[in-house]
Amino acid sequence: MITIIKPGMQMSIQDQGRTGSRHLGIGHSGCIDPYAQIITNRLVGNDDNNPVIEITLGLAEIQFDNDYYIALHGTDMKATVNGNAVEPGWSFYIKKGDVLKLNAARHGFRSYLAIGGDWHLPDPILNSYSTDISAGFGGLTGQALQAGDSFEVTPKYNTKVGLGAMLPPKSTQIRIHAGPHAALLPKDTIVNFINHSWHVSPNSNRMGTRLLSDECDIRHTVSLPSMAVAPGCIQLPPNGEPIVLLNDAQTTGGYPLLGTVIEADLRHFAQLKPGDFLHFKFVTLKEAHAAQEKLTAHLNQLAIALNYINK
Amino acid sequence: MTTDRTPKIMALTTHSIFFDAYETGSDTLTTQKKIWALAQYCQSSDDFVDIVPANNNLTLYLKEPAQLAGWLPRLLDQWHELKASDFNSRHHKLATRYGGEYGPDIAHVAKHHNLSVDEVAQMHSSAKYHVLFLGFKPGFAYLDGLNPQLFTPRHAEPRLSVPKGSVAIGGEQTGIYPESSPGGWQIIGHTDFRLFDINAASPCAIEPGDTLEFVIQEVLK
Repeated sequence: MITIIKPGMQMSIQDQGRTGSRHLGIGHSGCIDPYAQIITNRLVGNDDNNPVIEITLGLAEIQFDNDYYIALHGTDMKATVNGNAVEPGWSFYIKKGDVLKLNAARHGFRSYLAIGGDWHLPDPILNSYSTDISAGFGGLTGQALQAGDSFEVTPKYNTKVGLGAMLPPKSTQIRIHAGPHAALLPKDTIVNFINHSWHVSPNSNRMGTRLLSDECDIRHTVSLPSMAVAPGCIQLPPNGEPIVLLNDAQTTGGYPLLGTVIEADLRHFAQLKPGDFLHFKFVTLKEAHAAQEKLTAHLNQLAIALNYINK
Repeated sequence: MTTDRTPKIMALTTHSIFFDAYETGSDTLTTQKKIWALAQYCQSSDDFVDIVPANNNLTLYLKEPAQLAGWLPRLLDQWHELKASDFNSRHHKLATRYGGEYGPDIAHVAKHHNLSVDEVAQMHSSAKYHVLFLGFKPGFAYLDGLNPQLFTPRHAEPRLSVPKGSVAIGGEQTGIYPESSPGGWQIIGHTDFRLFDINAASPCAIEPGDTLEFVIQEVLK
């Protein structure tokens, strides 16, 4: 049994999310950093798409009523078990009755907890265990995890323990594709957007990262017919404060798009916290493709290494 | 009609395509029928993860980036071959109770337009509505077809909770709340028709392109 003692700012059960139902208004959900999810699962011998707990900011506590192999990845939340420090990125053995305590993240925003074994959750919805917090379904209760929530995980010890793996490197330079609305927006909007640094607004969440700038004024009055939107779309509302849509975003929207974050760089938004600075750079489809291939290679190398170690 | 302008088409990412037929010459509904027909054509291929129609446009999400280059010209070719009549839709009848506790704002809507409550119910239920697309919330349908005589501004202060199944008017639109949620639309009635059930095998009873009508079950004063 896994029991949430303190969920902290936000904690939710996520896997790689839902596809195939966007035309019905059903969003993607899922881990904002799917690479952290996959790598953390592999460290404890789970399948890549096994659910994990996505933890935002930290200040959380989780109790384990069985012996498990677990791993934490993403940002360092200065985790401890019985007072002993836990390094992010390594699998370790946690004993029955132990409590994992997370401090506050300082250099990032989210971490991912994988627990080796079979998770007993309500049936998946549209092939996913992900919690859709805004629509209220999936995960354990359709909500973010609350103090006192608990669920069963039947432990499996089908890997070596004490394994470590790195995540692909972080970046605050976000590569983007050109969008369809450049010509409709006031002159220089796109140039100004690219030439300025932006910082993350405290109003950001899993639906989107909202951006602010003290120097850049890109307000407008352009109104458009609704179009489909997805994680990565950078919307520009009339107030000139761009929103990078993330996993819990709605499926259609009427704001013009400044561009779309390349798939390989969406994971960076898992670690951007309010106040962090970032800037954007246009790339070609070919460059975006190469960035994706690099991440695939990272996962492939890990698979080869784990296969060798666990042999 | 035969001199339609060519839609705009572009790759949004390595694996998604935006097909924009807005202002291509036809009226909105005729263009939208072709959008649904194009979506239906794409559904017969196994290349897509998601196919999402919106307002006179279609966004396609591919499984593999390698499929992108082939689909860009293919979509345009298909657009020129398709006719609005190629799309086959389903029709739904939604039994609706107007007024009373089910439609607390119907008297306000009636007064706003100098109509009786019965006339509001009659006008609202005598139109055939097209489901242009779904969005905003799971199962929320954007409907085309509201009688302009019923256009009514939203509440200045949204209600904290509008019951699931509420039939409402917001500005130039009418819609049904698929789940209980906060909302600022004028609530004129209620339907027990299950628009959305996340635990059902196909959670959404209506799809883009379907048509629907509201059938008066009763009008309460």
